[in-house]
Amino acid sequence: MRAPKVLLGCAFALVAWPVSGQESGRQADPAFLENKIRPVLVAHCYGCHSGGAKEPKGDFRADRLSGDFADEANRGRWLAVLKRVKAGEMPPKSKPRPPEGEVRLLSDWIGGRVEAAEAARRAQGRVALRRLNRVEYENSVRDLLGVDVDLKKLLPADSAANGFDNAAEALHVSSFLMERYLEAADAALGVAIANGPRPKSVKKRHTFQDDRQIKMSEERVYRRLDDAVVTFSSSPWTAVTLWQFYPSDRGNYRFRISASGFQSAGKPVVFRVDTVPGGYDTKSRLINYFDAPADKPTVVEFVEGLEARCTIRLLPYALAGSQAVHKVGADDWKGAGLAVQWVEVEGPLNDAWPPASHRRLFGELPQEPVPGNRERLEVVSKEPLADAERILRDFARRAFRREVTDDDLKPFVALVKAKLADKYSFERAVRVGLLGVLVSPDFLFLREKPGKLDDFALASRLSYFLWCTMPDEELLTLASRRKLAEPDTLRRQVERMLKDPRAAAFTDNFVGQWLGLRDIDFTEPSNILYPEFDDMLKVSMVKEPLLFFDEVLKNDLSLTNFVASDFSMLNGRLAKHYGIAGVDGWAFRKVPLPPESHRGGVLTMAGVLKVTANGTSTSPVVRGAWVQDRILGTPPPRPPAGVPAVEPDIRGATTIREQLAKHRQIASCAACHAKIDPPGFALESFDVIGGWRDNYRSTGNGEEVKVDGRRMPYLKGRKVDPADVLADGQKFRNIDELKQLLLKDKDRIALALAEKMLTYATGRAPEAADKPEVEAIVRKVRDKNYGLRALVQEIVQSKPFQNK
Amino acid sequence: MKLCRRKFLRAAGVTLALPWLDALSPGRTLAAAAKPPRRMVCICTPLGLHPPHFFPEKAGRNYPLSPYLEVLKDFRDEFTVLSGLSHPDVDQGHDSGYTFLTAAPHPENRGGFRNSISLDQFAAERVGLETRFSSLTLGDEGFGLSWTRSGAPVPADFSPSHVFARLFLEGRPEEVQAQTRRLRDGQSILDAVGDQAKKMQSGLGANDRDKLDEYFTSVRDLEQRLARAEEWSKKPKPKVDAKQPQDIPNSADLVGRTRLLFDLAHLALQTDSTRLITIFLLGTSQVPPIPGVSLGHHDLSHHGQDPKKIEQLKKVELEAVKVLHDLLAKLKQTKEEGASLLERTMVLFGSNLGNANNHSCKNLPILLAGGGFKHGQHLAFDPKNAPPLCNLYVNMLQRLGIEADKFGSSTGTLTGLEGAG
Repeated sequence: MRAPKVLLGCAFALVAWPVSGQESGRQADPAFLENKIRPVLVAHCYGCHSGGAKEPKGDFRADRLSGDFADEANRGRWLAVLKRVKAGEMPPKSKPRPPEGEVRLLSDWIGGRVEAAEAARRAQGRVALRRLNRVEYENSVRDLLGVDVDLKKLLPADSAANGFDNAAEALHVSSFLMERYLEAADAALGVAIANGPRPKSVKKRHTFQDDRQIKMSEERVYRRLDDAVVTFSSSPWTAVTLWQFYPSDRGNYRFRISASGFQSAGKPVVFRVDTVPGGYDTKSRLINYFDAPADKPTVVEFVEGLEARCTIRLLPYALAGSQAVHKVGADDWKGAGLAVQWVEVEGPLNDAWPPASHRRLFGELPQEPVPGNRERLEVVSKEPLADAERILRDFARRAFRREVTDDDLKPFVALVKAKLADKYSFERAVRVGLLGVLVSPDFLFLREKPGKLDDFALASRLSYFLWCTMPDEELLTLASRRKLAEPDTLRRQVERMLKDPRAAAFTDNFVGQWLGLRDIDFTEPSNILYPEFDDMLKVSMVKEPLLFFDEVLKNDLSLTNFVASDFSMLNGRLAKHYGIAGVDGWAFRKVPLPPESHRGGVLTMAGVLKVTANGTSTSPVVRGAWVQDRILGTPPPRPPAGVPAVEPDIRGATTIREQLAKHRQIASCAACHAKIDPPGFALESFDVIGGWRDNYRSTGNGEEVKVDGRRMPYLKGRKVDPADVLADGQKFRNIDELKQLLLKDKDRIALALAEKMLTYATGRAPEAADKPEVEAIVRKVRDKNYGLRALVQEIVQSKPFQNK
Repeated sequence: MKLCRRKFLRAAGVTLALPWLDALSPGRTLAAAAKPPRRMVCICTPLGLHPPHFFPEKAGRNYPLSPYLEVLKDFRDEFTVLSGLSHPDVDQGHDSGYTFLTAAPHPENRGGFRNSISLDQFAAERVGLETRFSSLTLGDEGFGLSWTRSGAPVPADFSPSHVFARLFLEGRPEEVQAQTRRLRDGQSILDAVGDQAKKMQSGLGANDRDKLDEYFTSVRDLEQRLARAEEWSKKPKPKVDAKQPQDIPNSADLVGRTRLLFDLAHLALQTDSTRLITIFLLGTSQVPPIPGVSLGHHDLSHHGQDPKKIEQLKKVELEAVKVLHDLLAKLKQTKEEGASLLERTMVLFGSNLGNANNHSCKNLPILLAGGGFKHGQHLAFDPKNAPPLCNLYVNMLQRLGIEADKFGSSTGTLTGLEGAG
C-alpha cells in the first residue's frame, strides 16, 4: 500500500459523502474499524455470520471483513452489508434491530470508505494496463503484417471477468505465455516474409463423373448424370470429397461450386462444406452451409485459407441415410438429392510476389539466394543498419499504435546491430528486431495514462472496441493531428468503423459473450429427448442473435427489440424449429414474426435458450438468473454454499415448479428467488433446444408422441405452467405477457446494456462511482428512441470511455 | 549482448541454475544421488466421480473396496483413498476447477477473483531445476491445472505428439541448429524488452505497476528458462522405445486421449525429463465412444438420480479408472535403482467436484497412490469438520523434499498419512 494511502488523503476533499474531512480522516484509521465498527458487527452479525457460529449463514463471514477497501472483493462484501442493513433485510426480522445511531454509523463509515477507495482508483484510472487477449492479438498481428495465420491455437485461452475476456484485471502474463508469444510472432513472420519463389497458382475445374470415390463406392448412393453427380445420402461418410485437389502450398484458395437441388420438389437443397484435414491440420472444420436451388445449377463462391495437403468435402443436409438409399439404389431413388456439376479451385492466391506482407516490411529491397542454399531467398541490403532502422521505425509505429521516438527504437536497433555483429544475415537480424517489437510491452499492452486519454490511446480504445484490432491509418492520422477527440470527428469515425467489415468482430465478441453464445457446446442435447437437434440447427441458433444484433445496430432500432421484437433473422431450419411457414434453405433473412409465434427478442431465441439449459432439462433458476444478469443488469448473488441445487426429475414424477416451491417458503431463499425465478418460469415454455412446448418431454411416464407419423423416443410428460408473479406483484400468464411487463421499464433495459457494453468497451466493469455517467448515457439514448447505434455513439462520447 | 544479459541476471540477484551436464538423463544428478528423486503427478477429472461408486463404506485398513476402487485392487496397498476433504473457501460450481491445486478462495469469472500458485508450480520453483523440464502441464481441451505465483494460467499442452517430440525427438541437424538459434535470439529479445519494461515502470499507478511487474517477472523467468534450455540442448535427448503417439482428433474420446497423456507422463517420469506433471481431463459434452453410453459425460454427471443415467455414468467413470490402473501398473513395473517408479512417484487422482450432480465442492473424491507412503487405508474425515485438502498437499510437498509447512489454506499436515521411511 504505497500510493493509494497518499491518494486516499487528498481524495477525501473531492468527494461529496456527508462526512466532514476530519471525520473521514478518523475513519480511515484502522483503529476506527476495530473500536467503533467491529463492535456493531459483533453485536448484530457475528451470531450467525462468523467462525464462531455453528455454520456461518449464507456462507458469509462478517469476521473476515477487512479494512482494505482497495480490495474490490472485500469492498463488494462491505457494500452487500450496507445494502442489506439499509434495506432492513439484515438483521432478519426475527432479531432485534440495531439502534438507528449504529445503523447510521455503519452506513456512513462504509459509504465513506467505498467512496474514498473509488476516488483513489479514479485518480490512477479505472482500467489497469490491459493486455491484448488472444483474439485481439491475432487480429492485430493480421493487420500489422497483412497475413492470416491461426495464432489463437498457439495461445492459451484468456480468463474472463464480469462476463468478458478482455477484462484488464483478468488478463495475466506468465513466462509460459511469453514463450507462446515468441512462437506465435515467429510463426506469423514466417508467413509474412517470403523466402522462396512464387508458389505456382493453379486454376482447375473438377468434375466427379470419373471420381474414384464415386465410382468405387460400395454404397449405391450416387447417381452419375451427363453434367453432374447426384448424391442422395446425408450420412457423413458418404460426403463428396474433392480428392482431385491436393495443394502442396498453404494459402488462400478460391472455390467455386456449381450445384443444384435434384428431385427436391422446387425447394433448395442445403449442403455443408468442410475442410478435410491433411498435413499439419488435424481437425476438420465447417466452412459454411450453402443453398443449391432446385434444378437450376447455381455457383457458390468462397475463399478459404488452407494448409498444404488439405481439401474440402460436400455433404447435403437432411436427406436420407445411406442405408435407405442403398437398399433402393441411387438410380431408382425418388427422394431429393444434391447435384454437383463441378468444383473449380484457384490458388494459392497471391496478387504479387513477394506478397504484400513481405513488401510492407521490406519495401523494394531485393532478394538474393542464400549462399549454400540456393532454394532460399533472403532480403539483402547495401546499408544494413540504415535500412534496419527505417524498417523498424515504420513497423514499431504501427505496432505501438502511436508516434515513436528514437528512444523507443533504441533497444530494437541495438538488437539488430548485435545480431549483425554476430554474423547474422541482414534479413535474419532484422527479423530478430521485428520479433522484439512483437513481444514488447508497447505492442502487447494498451498503454493509457491516468486522466483523459491522449488521441492515440483513444484511437486504440476505439478500434479494440469496435474492431477488436489495432487502429488503421485514418485513425492514427487523426490522432497525430490531435483531431480524433473532437466530438463530431469521433461520431463520424464511429459511423465509418461500424460500416467496415472489421466491425463483425464487435458483434461476434460482444454479443457472443453478452448472451453467452460461446457456451453453445457446453452441453449436448440428449438424442432420446431431442432427436430433432442437429448441427445445422446449432449453427443457425448461434447466427440468429448475431444477425439480429447487426440488424438492430445497422438501422439504429430501439434496443428494446432485444426484449421484444416483431421480426427476427431466420433461415429455413430455424423457421421450422419455430413453427413459422414459408422460409426455406440456409440463407438468413429478416422475417416478420406472427404474434402466436411467441418469438421476438433475444430471450426466446433458440441459441439463448440452449445455453441456459443443459442437455436434458431446463431450470427456471438458471434462466431466471440469466435474465436478471444479462437483460436487467442485476446479477443475483451466488447461492450460499451448502444449499444443494434442485435436482430436475426427468422421469416426469414432479415438475420443477413443485420442487422449487420450497424456495418460496423459506424466507432467506425467497429474498433472492422471488426475483430470480419468475422470468425463468415464463421461459419454461421453451425446451433445452429452444423449441416451444406445452408439455415436458419425459423418458419415464407419459403418453406416446408421434411426429409425422413416426413414434418419438420420448414420451409426453406433464404440462408446463409458465404463469407467475414478479417480485413487485405484477402477474403474467406466459412469456408474451412477461415481455410486455419487462418493456415497461425501458430505462432499466438500456442501463443494463449500457453497463455491459461499457464493460466490453473499456475492459473494466463500471462501479458505483461511475453510475452517474452510465445514467447520463441512458438519458441521451432515451432521447434517441433507445437506438442501439446511439448507445454505441454515446458510450464513445462518455467520460468513462475517454478516460483511463 | 550475451555478456550484457548475464550481467543483468547477476545484477537482478538471480543465480542461474544450470543443469549438471556431467550426469544426465536417464539418470540422476550427482548432488541428488544421495536421496532418491521424488516425483508427483496430479490428475483432476472435473466432472466428479459418483460418490457412492467411489468412496468405500468403511474407514481404516481392510475396508471393502468400492466399485471403482475394485478396478485398482492390485494396488490396494499402494494407495490411500481419502474422503471428507475439501477446499474451505471454494464454493460450488465448475469454476472450482481453477483452484483444485491452488485453493484460492471463491473462484469465479467475475471481477475480483485472483488465483494463486498451484501445488506443482510451487514445487517447480523449488525442485524443478534438476530436470530438462521443470514441470509439464497437460490436458485434453480448454485449460490446465497449473497456475503461476501471480495467478496467471500456465498454458496446458493438449497434443501428446508435440510433447513427445519436444521430450524425445532430436530433429534434423539444421532443425537443432535453428532451435538453438531461436533460444539464443529469444534471450537477447527478452533482455531488450525487459529493459524497456523497466523504463516504463516509473510514473505508473499501482494497478498498472502490478501488471508491468508481472510482465517483467515473466520476461526474466523465461530468459532463465531459455538459458537452461540452451544448455540442455547441447545434450542428447533421452531415447525411448515408444513411438511418437498420434493425437486423437475426436474430442469425445476422452478415455483414448487420457491414455495417451498417461503414457506420455510415464515416459517423461521414466526418463527423468521432469518430475512434476499435472493433467486436467476436461472432456467435452459429446457422447463418448464407449459401448452402452448414449449421453454426454457432462449431462450424465447431472443424472438427477435417474438410475439409467447413473448406470451410464458408471461406465464412463470406470473407463477412466481403468486408465488410471494402467498408469499405476506401468509405474510399478518401471524400476529405478531397484525401486519401482511408483514408490518414488506420488499420483494424486481426484476431482474438484464432490458431487457433480449438484455442483457441490465438499467431500471431494481423492486418491493418493505411490510416492512412498504407508498406504492401504481409507482415511475418512467428517465432511462437516474436515481439515483442508491443502493439508494433504503439504504432506506431498514435504515428500518432494521441500521444507514447506504451509500451502494454500493448509493448517498443518494430514493426520493419519505417514511416510514409508
